[in-house]
Amino acid sequence: MFTRTDDKITSSQAAVFLTNTLLGAGILTLPRNVTQTMETPDAWLTILLGGAAMLGIVLLMVKLCLQFPGQTVFQYAGKIIGKFPGKLVGMILILYFISVAGFEIRTLAEVTTFFLLEGTPPEAVVLPFIWVGVYLVLGGINSIARLFQIVLPISILVLLVSFGVSLRLFDINHLRPVLGSGIMPVLRGMKTAILIYAGCEVVLTLVAFVQEPKQAVKAMLGGIAIPIFLYLLTVVFVIGCLSVDSVVTSTWPTIDLVRSFEITGFFIERLEFPFMVIWLMQMFCNFSSFFFQASLGISQIFNVQLRPIIFMLAPAIFIATMLPRSLQDVFTLGDTIGYLGLGMFFLLPLMLSLIWMIRKKGTKGHV
Amino acid sequence: MSSLMSFVPSWHIWVLSIAAFLVPFLLSKIFARVHDFIKSGGNFKTASAPSPSSSSVERMPFSGDYAADIRSVLHVIGENSDLVIRKFPMSKLDAQGTLFYMDGMQQQRELNMRILEFFMFELTRDMLSIPFNGNGLLPFYTLKEATDAIEFSRLVLFGHAGVIVEGVPCGLLIQNPNTSNRAIVEPLSEALLRGPRLGFTEVLSENTSMLRRQGFSEQLEMRSYRIGNTLPKDVVIAYFKDIVNADLLKEVEARVSNIDIDFLADSGYIEQLIEDNYLSPFQQLQNTERPDRVINGLLEGRVAILQDGSPFALIAPATFSMLLQSPEDYYERWIPSSLLRMLRFFAAFLSLLAPSIYISFISFHPGLIPTELVLSIIETRQGVPFPSLIEVLILELAIEILREAGIRLPKPIGPAMGIVGGIIVGDAAVQAGIVSPILVIVVAVTAISSFSMPSYSAGITLRLLRFFGMIFAAILGMFGTILFFLLLCSHLSRLKSFGVSYLTPVSPYRLQDWKDLFIRAPISLMKKRPAMMKTRQERRQT
Amino acid sequence: MFRGLRKLISVLCVLLLLSGCWSSREVEDLALYLGLSLDAGKPAPKEKDLERKGARYPKQDKLLVTIQVVPAVGAASNEDKSLEKSSPFFNISGSGDSILQIFRQFSIRLDRPIIGHHLKVIVISADLLKKQSAEQLTDFLLRDNDIRPSCIVLVSEGEAMDVLVGTPNKEIPAVALIGMSRNRSRTSKVMRPVTLARLDAMIHSRKSFVLQRLITAGKETLFSGAEIIKGSIGQSIGSLEEEDTMCLTWLRGEGDRGVIKVNDSKGEPLVFEMKSLKSKITPHVEGEEISFDVKITTTGRIIETWSKGDTSTTQEYADEASKIFEEELIRMMTQLIHKLQNTYAADVAGFGDQLAIKYPSVWKKVKDDWDERFSQSKISISYKLSITDFGSFSEKK
Repeated sequence: MFTRTDDKITSSQAAVFLTNTLLGAGILTLPRNVTQTMETPDAWLTILLGGAAMLGIVLLMVKLCLQFPGQTVFQYAGKIIGKFPGKLVGMILILYFISVAGFEIRTLAEVTTFFLLEGTPPEAVVLPFIWVGVYLVLGGINSIARLFQIVLPISILVLLVSFGVSLRLFDINHLRPVLGSGIMPVLRGMKTAILIYAGCEVVLTLVAFVQEPKQAVKAMLGGIAIPIFLYLLTVVFVIGCLSVDSVVTSTWPTIDLVRSFEITGFFIERLEFPFMVIWLMQMFCNFSSFFFQASLGISQIFNVQLRPIIFMLAPAIFIATMLPRSLQDVFTLGDTIGYLGLGMFFLLPLMLSLIWMIRKKGTKGHV
Repeated sequence: MSSLMSFVPSWHIWVLSIAAFLVPFLLSKIFARVHDFIKSGGNFKTASAPSPSSSSVERMPFSGDYAADIRSVLHVIGENSDLVIRKFPMSKLDAQGTLFYMDGMQQQRELNMRILEFFMFELTRDMLSIPFNGNGLLPFYTLKEATDAIEFSRLVLFGHAGVIVEGVPCGLLIQNPNTSNRAIVEPLSEALLRGPRLGFTEVLSENTSMLRRQGFSEQLEMRSYRIGNTLPKDVVIAYFKDIVNADLLKEVEARVSNIDIDFLADSGYIEQLIEDNYLSPFQQLQNTERPDRVINGLLEGRVAILQDGSPFALIAPATFSMLLQSPEDYYERWIPSSLLRMLRFFAAFLSLLAPSIYISFISFHPGLIPTELVLSIIETRQGVPFPSLIEVLILELAIEILREAGIRLPKPIGPAMGIVGGIIVGDAAVQAGIVSPILVIVVAVTAISSFSMPSYSAGITLRLLRFFGMIFAAILGMFGTILFFLLLCSHLSRLKSFGVSYLTPVSPYRLQDWKDLFIRAPISLMKKRPAMMKTRQERRQT
Repeated sequence: MFRGLRKLISVLCVLLLLSGCWSSREVEDLALYLGLSLDAGKPAPKEKDLERKGARYPKQDKLLVTIQVVPAVGAASNEDKSLEKSSPFFNISGSGDSILQIFRQFSIRLDRPIIGHHLKVIVISADLLKKQSAEQLTDFLLRDNDIRPSCIVLVSEGEAMDVLVGTPNKEIPAVALIGMSRNRSRTSKVMRPVTLARLDAMIHSRKSFVLQRLITAGKETLFSGAEIIKGSIGQSIGSLEEEDTMCLTWLRGEGDRGVIKVNDSKGEPLVFEMKSLKSKITPHVEGEEISFDVKITTTGRIIETWSKGDTSTTQEYADEASKIFEEELIRMMTQLIHKLQNTYAADVAGFGDQLAIKYPSVWKKVKDDWDERFSQSKISISYKLSITDFGSFSEKK
């Protein structure tokens, strides 16, 4: 067929989709979050360990999804644990996606109104953002994936350039000693390090859209490897340049990093400009991904059309965005989402796989 | 409980949340409606008044009665003063004949020497056996028959030389129109330093012959359609049989044959009638004056549409990257070509976003630009009475008007006008303190960048879009500019041209197609046809 | 349907245009401040007059804040401007108890709002640093969203506002200071600049540190010496001379520029120009005893000598000369270590950091009273100075 009617994405698109879903607000706050719980410069170790754990979890999720080719978690959850509990699980997932979307936009609004648009009401930042998101999501997963593929290379490029330039501040002593306080702080930090991968539940729906399911495992692992690498880089550079002591007191340590030097004589003397640009675009991707997942979930659980759901969800996300009363609330929400996410992407696939395996064995025994 | 209550947002959040729903909902409704409206306007075949072709109720078939036939032809076209009628006797037949032609559309000498001579002295009864074409006894290689007076008259009026012979129940059209044409010249809108200088003309047969002459191939196929209700015209669809994807070809043919319009003045009409999205600012078919470009497109598996009377061929489907590609990229060596291409991407970016970025910096984020720059900007902007948006709008509009005026003016005055307008007005505006010198630089760079687009249509699109970008920037600064960019990207990622996503090959990533995107890989490496076209043959050189 | 929609859209457009542009401020309507100085509190001279006439608000004058505003054009109602007509900048000072409050006070004295995106230099007077802790003074500067963490912090001997006065028709003092701080490539008397970001880390870690000190005389300002901030109290406890500063930079391995001048056997100057320097601090822990080995390796050239006839370029001569230089280097270093350990009891050379890296568990125990422990620890320094060339000069033997 020349004109594609099925809504499938290539495996590279799926990988980028996952990457863009994960790379979000975390990149600004991650160094502080991890370091605050650890108080040692070993955060990078934590990220690595957390990343390794995530690779396993993602693998599990993909394997689970591959049992039901072409179906999302909203569809097959019912088959595993029964119709009603399946719907319940789907609803929880949807609520979770909506709150994550709201959280992401709220973080965006906070950063934008603090650094870029002082005095602009956050609603004026949030509303147009949601509107553009609606426009994109209406185009379906293919359009979303295409936009992601435009944004991601730019983001990675700017990120790498920013870090490359900040090498001048880099002091390896800030990252030493390695394991100075033993392994305990690293394990303590694991919790926060895994929380930043909140959102990788999208794997549960994403696999259904991959054109060549055989490559799904590779694509998803690749999709999670990129954010692990970028997060690692972020932590190494932010701590290496600013030192642990500075990172723990900074609200947005990564922005502080790019703000803490000037490249004189260069047209873009201040790197926070390109950095903010890519971060905003990354947040948009992030948000549209969750937006899409949530609307997809509703449409599949209740068997309704996707289009009207997208319109209906816009105000819901807006209200979710405006619920936190202060920045402190936002961070609390972020933590809560993290814990919820832990349950979502850790317990849910584990539970589903276990039950599925037991049931499968059971039926096999009968035959 | 009360702590929970404090999370309940105030009323204005609820109101805004309704807006969050209504704005996209209504906008999408409006756009869908407008789109449908335009689309229905394009297809008035089903609903509209009877088209002229239905007037063939009063067809007047030739009866074979010589006098009556002449009368009916004269009845149809007799009023025209440029009609030349020459009656002549035919000695070998002992019958009468009449030659019709329009003054100036046939070569008199040839008519006298060859045709009249033949009819008057050589034509025998045996040659006049019907059908003429099938038997091929008449020595005219473009012989056509018309069985009714209306058709006969129409062709005579189009320039054919027609003959009615006593005792023959149809009209003979023996000579094609031979009118004066303009010479073949270098394509005006796509001039190149290196590469073929050949450009299409207004004559369809010449254009198709140019395509044929590009190389020896039995696979190049051209199908002809006659489109137009009042004044029908020939339209040709060209493609390579063994390359083009059958579904694509079917789609193009269906859309072209469904066109319903009175008259096609230029291939631009066709473009607008068969494109996918009427509301998109981007062109979804590529237009070109260059046969080499068309052939290259065909070899990639695309389909070309040529129209009689237009020197612009259309290539479908078009993608975003095509807007920024110039044939010269392929004629020069690959390293400079790749650099030029990247330069063009950069120029496109500049012409789209430079004014928006200027506005966001000047009005919103003085903290994001280097200190020295900000100091010199402040100095130059002292006394400028307008906010940056108005300032930019003034100058941008002035430039657009200048450009528009420059096109209308005759060639000798055009450049002078540009100098007067650009340099003197710009300088005076700075002197008068209406705009700042930095802005003049920004606007000039923007304008020049938009002219560096290889395709004029792409240049217009970018110029149009940047005004929207400026409004976004004026409301939300950098954030607005990014939103605008995202909106544009969202639109592009949703847009399709004949089923091909407009953003291919930028996304999805296909390394193979990237060889001809931001860089132009050495020709020897481009062995495969673009994957996005889903061609029948994958390899270019076998 | 269509008409209703059109109406709705036009209403929305109007709303958008009316309510839009919240944060829009043209750049020429803003006053950028490039420099900021903090002095011990006393009303600024001009303020006194104003206060006498009734321009008062309740305050205790803990601080005197001066900002350097550019460009001067447009700030019509300013006295300084009329004095120095062609000056590209003007300074405005105010006293009060909080930096932000003083800033907002400027808003009723200036015709344009001030923005701190382009703040380059913060100068704090040494007197103030002796009274208030660095943490208190920079708290606002770190919290504010305008001020970039990239601006550098300096300490001035005497009034900090004098540093910003500058000479008329010359470069903006704040910019000049930035330029001077780049001269680190020529002399190690200019220390690695302490940006707000670094200052933040140092304050938070409660370790002692040094800040570049400025001395102003007449209208000339120079980088001279370093102010020591004691980590435990966050206040200044004294300063280092230029020579000590240079040695400190070398010891910390943050610079390898500078000259060593000695008098040779004939009493004439002999000058060594440093080309490279490596400094390595190795901590040792034996029971409760903490000691440090420092290894300083440096190479350079003889660049200037005044003694006649003694212009040999032989290896023997080089060895001989390097001995003299080494002695001088030892003298300078010993003096610095003595000052750090005994006079000030403050580890500003990064001994503690090395200990923390090598012996994290020991560091945990001693870090709270590190400065005391540092002053008691044994430091032995080994030197290796070699002369590799004699400049573009060669003498026939």
